[in-house]
Amino acid sequence: MATISTALRHFKEPSKEQLTHTFFSIPPALDGTLDKSEEVEGMEINAVLSLGEAVEDSYAGKLHIMSPFLAFASLDRKSVRFTIPLSTIRRVERLNARAGIYALSLLTWHGMKLVVQLTSLRPTADLFCSLLKDALKLELQRGQMKLVKSFVKTCYSEVLVSNSSSAPENEREDGSLDDQIPNSEEITYHGGLGLKFKFPGDPKKLRETSKIKLWTTYLKTHGRNLTLLRYPQYTRLVQVGLPNRLRGEMWEVLSGSIYLRFANPGYYERLLEEHKGTTSTSTEDIEKDLHRSLPEYAGYQSEVGINSLRRVLQAYSFKNPELGYCQAMNILAAAILIYMSEEQAFWLLEILCDRLLPGYYAPSMHGTMLDQRVFESLVQRCLPMIHEHFQEVDVQLSVASLPWFLSLYINSMPMVFALRIVDCFFCMGPKVLFQSHHSTLFPAILKINGEKLLQIQDDGGFLNLMRDYFASLGESAHPDSPDPRARAITNFQELLLVSFREFSIIHSIESFAKRSAIRNLRTFGRFTKEQVGFVYDALYKAMCLVPPPPTSAPPPTLFTTGDGSEEKPETRIELKTFRHLLSEVATWARDEKIVMNGFQQRIDREVAEHEFIDRLFYFWDVGCRGALSFQDIVLGLDGVMFNDLMENIEWFFNLHDKNKDGYLTKDEVLVLSESLLFIFRFEVGDAYLGAVSRFMTNAFEYGDALLPRPEPKEGEDGERASSPPPIESNQPYLNLATFRMVVLADEILESFFETDLRNSFKLVPLPEMELPISSTGLLGDIWSSIATDTNKKMFNMFTDEIGKTIGRHQVIHRPSIGRYTTLEEPKARESLLTPSMRKSASKSSLKSSAAASTSTVSTAVGDAAPRPASSASSLTVNVPSPAQLASAKSALGSVPESGSLSAMPMMKAARDAALMERTPFAIDNAQDGDEDEDDFFDDDEEDDQVLDEVDAFLEAHDSGLTEADKKVAQDLLKAEPVK
Amino acid sequence: MAEQASASNDKSVQVKLVLLGEAAVGKSSVVLRFVNNEFQANKEPTIGAAFLTQKCRLEDRILRYEIWDTAGQERFHSLAPMYYRNAQAAVVVYDVTKASSLEKAKSWVKELQRQANPNIVIALAGNKVDLVQPSESSSGGTSVDESEDEADDATATGGEAPAPSGEGESLRQVPREEAQAYATEAGLLFFETSAKTGEGIVDIFTEIAKKIPIEHILASARGNAGRPGLAGNRAEGAQSQNVNLDQNATKAKDACNC
Ligand SMILES: Nc1nc2c(ncn2[C@@H]2O[C@H](COP(=O)(O)OP(=O)(O)OP(=O)(O)O)[C@@H](O)[C@H]2O)c(=O)[nH]1
Ligand SMILES: [Mg+2]
Repeated sequence: MATISTALRHFKEPSKEQLTHTFFSIPPALDGTLDKSEEVEGMEINAVLSLGEAVEDSYAGKLHIMSPFLAFASLDRKSVRFTIPLSTIRRVERLNARAGIYALSLLTWHGMKLVVQLTSLRPTADLFCSLLKDALKLELQRGQMKLVKSFVKTCYSEVLVSNSSSAPENEREDGSLDDQIPNSEEITYHGGLGLKFKFPGDPKKLRETSKIKLWTTYLKTHGRNLTLLRYPQYTRLVQVGLPNRLRGEMWEVLSGSIYLRFANPGYYERLLEEHKGTTSTSTEDIEKDLHRSLPEYAGYQSEVGINSLRRVLQAYSFKNPELGYCQAMNILAAAILIYMSEEQAFWLLEILCDRLLPGYYAPSMHGTMLDQRVFESLVQRCLPMIHEHFQEVDVQLSVASLPWFLSLYINSMPMVFALRIVDCFFCMGPKVLFQSHHSTLFPAILKINGEKLLQIQDDGGFLNLMRDYFASLGESAHPDSPDPRARAITNFQELLLVSFREFSIIHSIESFAKRSAIRNLRTFGRFTKEQVGFVYDALYKAMCLVPPPPTSAPPPTLFTTGDGSEEKPETRIELKTFRHLLSEVATWARDEKIVMNGFQQRIDREVAEHEFIDRLFYFWDVGCRGALSFQDIVLGLDGVMFNDLMENIEWFFNLHDKNKDGYLTKDEVLVLSESLLFIFRFEVGDAYLGAVSRFMTNAFEYGDALLPRPEPKEGEDGERASSPPPIESNQPYLNLATFRMVVLADEILESFFETDLRNSFKLVPLPEMELPISSTGLLGDIWSSIATDTNKKMFNMFTDEIGKTIGRHQVIHRPSIGRYTTLEEPKARESLLTPSMRKSASKSSLKSSAAASTSTVSTAVGDAAPRPASSASSLTVNVPSPAQLASAKSALGSVPESGSLSAMPMMKAARDAALMERTPFAIDNAQDGDEDEDDFFDDDEEDDQVLDEVDAFLEAHDSGLTEADKKVAQDLLKAEPVK
Repeated sequence: MAEQASASNDKSVQVKLVLLGEAAVGKSSVVLRFVNNEFQANKEPTIGAAFLTQKCRLEDRILRYEIWDTAGQERFHSLAPMYYRNAQAAVVVYDVTKASSLEKAKSWVKELQRQANPNIVIALAGNKVDLVQPSESSSGGTSVDESEDEADDATATGGEAPAPSGEGESLRQVPREEAQAYATEAGLLFFETSAKTGEGIVDIFTEIAKKIPIEHILASARGNAGRPGLAGNRAEGAQSQNVNLDQNATKAKDACNC
């Protein structure tokens, strides 16, 4: 449909800032209400949040300052979060805590104390504090602070927390007001028509009293209205259904419309006043529907309700004339007006139409259309049986779903259930693109009714089935179950359960796209579904960093929602993206440097570039399209990750056999050696270098020896016949059998092909590159992430510089394989031909390594491989010393004459390449090289420990807080402010 | 289950019918009157579309109307093709007390004639005639089963909904002759109706049934083979409410209540 494609075309990936605002339900400021020039810059910082009085655990997360708000979200982005207007904060104190801990205590207007420990570096924390100070000052100047007290009087939660008994005495059980009993105090809080006309549903069944009690307890300790904190219990309380009296206010808070109401006092009344007497098509349309909005509710059988509804709908149409009024908005507005005042409803409607359901009610209704398509394809992927059946009998899902979505199920199912769905809808918030969260409900409804749906024959049958199902939501889902608890589960509860459990994972289009991409694979190869998922993640990450060219399909976020016939062509990535992808999954395809400068330790990670990687790309590109699909990548990885020794040798051989004739040319042998050198470039010690040079020696020896020799012919020179025949560098030279023999002659290569190559591919996502290591540093105690990447880079550069000047700067390349750290005497696998030659080569390299001096010492990363005993006496070398080069040369020198003619320039290149790869180590040479061997040995062990720590940190990184961190957070609650 | 037997006999014909027209002209009310013989003063606006079925007897045939009642607001317009595709009949409704609604009706007719099934039978219905009839008939027209309180509210407050007071014809904005002339010119069936009193409602469906090329539909339906599970969950509900289209239109109400 045209509207969808236009909507898609106009679809802009929301900026990070927009996403953050949306996540925290921070509404956009109304035009002209905020002077941009005096806005305070936003910033986020790592922090640990503790709640005064320690009623809750501490949570690690990110604290944001987004003037005029302070917001926090725990690391998992769902356990804990809050959005608090700065104007509700009355005092900020720096806490006097253990040295190196930077913590603030925030006191809200009603005396709630929050302690936030800023776990970023001191300068960052200082910056954050000064921004916070500026922002608070600005709020004070704008007079917002003064408004808080009068504003909160409009919130029912204040009544709840101030009353010792949980409800005012003139309230009926459902929360509406009894006119018979006069209230001693004047009512200042906002409320809906329900106060006068009662609330829908049976208060006993809804368990109003106990819900109110639970909420009162929660609100007393976790803030309320503007200052409400969302801890895990909160979400649970919302999911069981909000109590009538709090519903309106909670909707406001959850959606963020309360911030609009707070920021724009009197706006609603003024708007109505200004437009008094104005008529438009919208006002005409509204009039038509006023009496057609929840007509069965008593409030709308009275002037009072009708007039409220008219004013709210009109006010919205004045505020947003472009959208104006759309049928279904009357139903929404009528429903929310039962629970909230006109002003509250007006702002909530604004958020609903603008933020939560964008494009739903617009004249083009593109949001509705888009979501319909999304849902249809969702059903196609998740419930293919139902989809097929519907196709067969020509039933369109949208005949049922469209009205549901437009009116948020209100008036499609019994009111009490629809309201609970609305509760959840506001609570879970909008997700980007997947606009409506009730979408998860939709597949759940279909799934539950699966069998019956397969029986339906036409649209009418479908609609009737759905109507009957909705009508039965209050009935038991398992009426025949012997277990009374199972019998007590209603259809509605089951529906929520299914939709949360099974479909809430489809919360973003990415994971949806992921599932469909995985489903569309012809084969997983030997991978499990989970592993394929990892491959997809790596691919997705790479595509975000280096998007495929516009000629190919768009990134996976913009998938087509149509049916199979208009499926978009497969997304394919080019070489550049491939390099990123590979760097995610293969250790040797990235350059990892562990940098230590005395203040911090971090891993710098870069994408490696090498002909070998390009070769792999073309090798996997079986269709010769110059681009790889997800399937190509999966199969490509499958081809190398499950092989045994022999298969891997063959794989590596084929990779380098360009013309696939079963022979490597001499050139190809050299290229293959370069590939090995590339893979081994960060290995510690020269064991691997030695292995490659031995490989070359042997390859040429064997190759020459096995060349078919022309039968010595009669009368020919006998000497000539015994020497290898001359062969061009691009002629078939080495076959697989010979190659295998050469590889197996070397222990290191054998182990490489047997396990190391396979293990160098790791599908588990890479951990973050930040290593928060509490070091003995000078700048601060805690290193953690700093707000932006640029900041991080700056900081890194800065500390590196200092590190260098004070001589504590160290860079260690992380080895890709890390099995052999020292050169070993080749084991007794004697060459068939000339063992002596190989020996001499390795001897010399052994000597060179002993003579080499270097500042950096490193070791294998926790590899299980037992370190050979010889390691104690040998050094690990990072910088090729002249002696080493000489050894390499001598290895080259041992290449038989016939090969070396053409081999020499290639090898020189290879050697240069090796040298280049290692140049970063040059800076390490700043240290004096006179230390003796014992020192190196000690360092070696120390580094071992450091690296163990690194690994430990990498593991602990995700898990929020350690026990020690928790202790610190607890202590902070008692800490005194700095004098 | 006699009905079901007859439903599956080859004389039963399915007719897909779509209702179009400006918002609040009374489309849903017309259908509700036809299907359930009810009238609700404050019917919620249709969101998207609603689907109802009704069986009727015409001579020796059973017709099964599959009725798509669409939403009237302009912005739902783009959804309409989804509902009128393959429709054999359409009822385009306007409100006799609102001149603009006839203009909208005309544009629907144009769209149908251009884009819908070429053999589609179109009827034009000027609804709410009860509002423009002389007071004796309008006051007596309301039957007891209509919820009086709601009706009172609606008429008392709805700015647009004119009260059925003694003003009679003065509320009329679309003269019968004008609409009739247009209908003849455009080749449409024409009726003035009242969902409230039931006037003219059954007539629309009767005349449509007569005009529809039933044999043609039957032939094409046979090609489609039977849709077995069809009647299953609806047969009983529809059974008691069968409308006999052979009845004289003026007795429609009684006939429907059988
Ligand atoms: N007096 C009178 N009122 C009617 C008649 N038909 C409908 N109404 C009233 O007109 C209003 C609109 O009727 P609906 O049937 O909902 O109109 P609709 O065309 O379906 O409207 P949408 O679904 O919004 O397109 C309701 O309040 C009905 O009670 C009628 O024949 N006479
Ligand atoms: Mg309608």
